[in-house]
Amino acid sequence: MKIVVDRSKCSSIGLCEATAPDIFEIGANGSLTILIEDISDDRRVDLEQACENCPTQALSIED
Amino acid sequence: MTTALTRAARPYDQADLSSLEFWSGTARDREKVFADLRTNRPISWHRPVTNGMFEDPNDQGFWAVVRHADLVEVTRRPGDFLSGKGITFESLPLEVLDAAQGFIAMDPPRHTKIRRLLASAFTPKQLARIDEHVVANARQIVDDIADKGEVDFVTEVAALVPMHNICDMVGIPAEHRRTIAYESQFADGWRDPRLLQGADPLARVFQTVATIHGVAHELIAARRVKPEDDLMTALVQAEVDGERLTDDDISSFFTLLIIAGNDTTRQSIAHGMKALTDFPDQRAWLLEDLDKRMPLAVEEIIRWATPIMTFRRTAAHDTELGGHQITEGDKVIMFYSSANMDTEVFDHPERLDLSRSPNKHVAFGGGGIHHCLGAQLARRQINATFRELLTRLPDIHTVGEPELGNGNFFHTVMSMTAEFTPENRSGRAR
Repeated sequence: MKIVVDRSKCSSIGLCEATAPDIFEIGANGSLTILIEDISDDRRVDLEQACENCPTQALSIED
Repeated sequence: MTTALTRAARPYDQADLSSLEFWSGTARDREKVFADLRTNRPISWHRPVTNGMFEDPNDQGFWAVVRHADLVEVTRRPGDFLSGKGITFESLPLEVLDAAQGFIAMDPPRHTKIRRLLASAFTPKQLARIDEHVVANARQIVDDIADKGEVDFVTEVAALVPMHNICDMVGIPAEHRRTIAYESQFADGWRDPRLLQGADPLARVFQTVATIHGVAHELIAARRVKPEDDLMTALVQAEVDGERLTDDDISSFFTLLIIAGNDTTRQSIAHGMKALTDFPDQRAWLLEDLDKRMPLAVEEIIRWATPIMTFRRTAAHDTELGGHQITEGDKVIMFYSSANMDTEVFDHPERLDLSRSPNKHVAFGGGGIHHCLGAQLARRQINATFRELLTRLPDIHTVGEPELGNGNFFHTVMSMTAEFTPENRSGRAR
């Protein structure tokens, strides 16, 4: 699985990082970095949670 | 579906959410009113708040949003429900809004850009890096009370924890800290004669803004000459759309960080101490495995305290919410204290349950773009403080009832006595 970030929507609120800090990171310049490119299937619940939590609907999962 | 009525023609709900008496009572009393509204009239129209100040002849009332699900919906529709017209019940003078509410009272796209500037300082990983400072501050605060046996818990513990931590992050030197923390109380405490001590409320609010801005300007000048590793430096150096922030912008964000940083966590720690006194079985459960149980306990303490009771939005255009027609310009107030007691979401919300999981409280917001920037900081501070208190002063408890504020924004504890066996007499080596 991959996480796709819509950069025009992401506002760096950081709820994704709060959900899965090993996958998402708000960097020093305030932009979101995806730390793991190819994410294993057993993290699907975390990713779905992060997508749902995103206040700006900037995240989606790509299988 | 109700038909759309003009603001002037809409009848007011009979429940009182608007009087100073309502807000001067206890959370338990207010909850009786909220419980009735949640069950019977989850979205209702109310007369304007009365407080003797900032009376706006054009203010015709507000919608009260009291259910958890509706609050989350309002939070997540920032295009329909704006923050830029103000975030409190009252129609505050524009100068106060501009000077004190920073990006909390802003809408996209500017909100997005400003928030991004500060976001990186408050992420879980960044907060983990400064955790040792948070722990050290908690230790120092407990050191300073440990041999006293009796303290005013608010001024000697609850207020100091966030004061030191937010000042460390922002870069405010020691000599300004107490002034800043004291002044920040007037953000919501301007109704309170005990704080005002005869001062005119509006004049006092302007004095607060002027005092905090005075410190801000001093720090801005200092950081321009000599950058430090703090948020003030980040603000001074930041560019938005290729432009540096103005001194007034920076001062406004600074004021927001001071108020939002100080007046929230201090309430959570104060209400938390009271709750741990009132629910000894819960405290015993927590102490059985403090390390493991603290994170869940912190969430429940935050739900229980709900340090910010309300936030306002303003309808951007005619729209619909929960079957009601909302008219452009209507004030919409979200009642966080009510949503955090919603039985649709919480089993027995009237019970402190430190093991509550999941705990979908909305004390940090309903998950919208204004979601609390400092949530992780708050959690770490509350965790560090109670860990320090409960291990070193194990019998600490509150005495009597706390003296509460009368505001409609912060769930303020003005003062509260706590007693404990002094540390040096309880036999612990220092």
